[in-house]
Amino acid sequence: MKPILDVETLTRIHGPGCPACLDVTGPEHDTNICRHCGSVVAVAGASLRLHKGEVLGIMGESGSGKSSLVKMLYFDDKPTSGRAIFHDEGQAHDLFALNEAQQLRLRDMRMGMVYQNPSLGLNFDISAGGNIAERLLMSDELSYRAIREKATALLARTEVPPARMDELPRNFSGGMQQRVQIARALSTGAPLLFLDEVTTGLDLSVQARILDLIMELQEVTGVSMLVVTHDLGVVRHLTTRTIVMKHGRIIEAGLTDQILEDPQAAYTQQLVSSAL
Amino acid sequence: MHPVDTMGQNRDGAEYGFAFLDEDAKRELRRSIFKAVCIPGHQVAYASREMPIARGFGTGGMQLTLALLGPDDTCKVIDQGADDSVNAANIRNFFALTCPGVTGTLRTEGASVIQTRHRIPELKLRADQILVFQVPYPDPLVVVEPNAAKRRRMHGRADYARLWVKLYEDMVAFDEITISHRYPTRINGHYIIDPSPIPRFDVPKLHQADCLYLFGAGREKRIYAVPPHTDAVPITFNDVAFAVESFRDKTTGKRHVCRRCGADDSFLDEFLDNDGARVFQCSDAAYCDMRLERLEAAK
Repeated sequence: MKPILDVETLTRIHGPGCPACLDVTGPEHDTNICRHCGSVVAVAGASLRLHKGEVLGIMGESGSGKSSLVKMLYFDDKPTSGRAIFHDEGQAHDLFALNEAQQLRLRDMRMGMVYQNPSLGLNFDISAGGNIAERLLMSDELSYRAIREKATALLARTEVPPARMDELPRNFSGGMQQRVQIARALSTGAPLLFLDEVTTGLDLSVQARILDLIMELQEVTGVSMLVVTHDLGVVRHLTTRTIVMKHGRIIEAGLTDQILEDPQAAYTQQLVSSAL
Repeated sequence: MHPVDTMGQNRDGAEYGFAFLDEDAKRELRRSIFKAVCIPGHQVAYASREMPIARGFGTGGMQLTLALLGPDDTCKVIDQGADDSVNAANIRNFFALTCPGVTGTLRTEGASVIQTRHRIPELKLRADQILVFQVPYPDPLVVVEPNAAKRRRMHGRADYARLWVKLYEDMVAFDEITISHRYPTRINGHYIIDPSPIPRFDVPKLHQADCLYLFGAGREKRIYAVPPHTDAVPITFNDVAFAVESFRDKTTGKRHVCRRCGADDSFLDEFLDNDGARVFQCSDAAYCDMRLERLEAAK
């Protein structure tokens, strides 16, 4: 299996930072706030590898650093240290060494993101079709007819009724907003997708349909995914491999079945046993 | 004391320098103009001066004109194509008052500097002429991005996808692009400018022109330029052609002509005459007058 994303000792510290920050935080200290300088260690020394066509879960409680990790990889945030290599079309991009224009080009054309809150991923002032068109236009598609056809096909694939394509997404239900967001993320045929708590806040039947949709699209397109969630059901349903984070550290990694059936770290055991 | 009362004199009773602005202000303006010409379409920030008219009444254009005028220049001021509107006439009087030696003119072909609001003259401008635009909103991205710092980064990256999204939304709603004025235009393959509220009809005149086009936004404190012989391409889709106003009659399909001079190639204003009938007339008054004179002479 070929890797698509290699993350090496990625660290993000919010605040001034001091030499002791990494030593006095973490699961063993039960905090991610440095007692010397008050900095918040959001992610510390996180390394992971994502293979082509693989779905990798990142699990952990609120504030464990799972979203921070993905935000850095999608250039929403800059890391304090560490690097990430994105293997794409025979090229290895050192993500944080690229200039801003190159980063945004990768972000617009070769990556996709689905946020928990659709207002982050979508522009509510333009129609659902317009949101898809924006991504296509960013990737230099300049034919109106082609854009229109692609947007229609994408929205049909994510089960958004074509009749509502020209409506503003702010008038859509939460589930439908999420489906428009998924269509937008998929629009450029990106090989790498980040899903940040995509089903949180949706009711159970809608959650199930969104998960089914993601699985189906993954099978058809073979896109690699990094799935951030605190929901064990989502992890079990979608992912083959999972990592568990706490206080910014990766405390356990392995096959999803293994982690859910036979958790090794005390925190993971607690997490698995606390599921309803 | 109102500045107009002391026109021509400063507070100590001494005379103002040539062209109202002090020499430092004019030097800064000229430097900004050079920079704007060197980077076609780029909005150059400058220190917009207080003018004796309110911001929004053409102070940006006025400062550019004052920095450009010399004693042997001839200047023309137009507002929506007409020379005799209150705004245009007063700005022309102001130039005559503060720039001794400068003569005002109503003729396009006789002017060396033309200050304009909302129109480009119908007559093709020559290499020795400069057209100065009064610009209310210099940034085309202001409709899609409220944050000025982000807009500057977007300009730097030529990240204009969201302007095309506006066109897309237009196409979806109306099956055509309905932008009537301030049509986003790409200059020299990179920066997209807001060509001030000129109608679509005038946008092609920016492309590969012989004259220099300067844009001044006084309130927003920006200067930008379309230098001579520079590409200026209105943005559109590959399969949707840019079109100017056609002035065709919906029923007969024939193009309306000016009721005064009979021109069929000019931008027309539509209005109701005293009998309530719809009539069309050249928006560019100087062009209309010139044609009438020629018709008279031919008789």
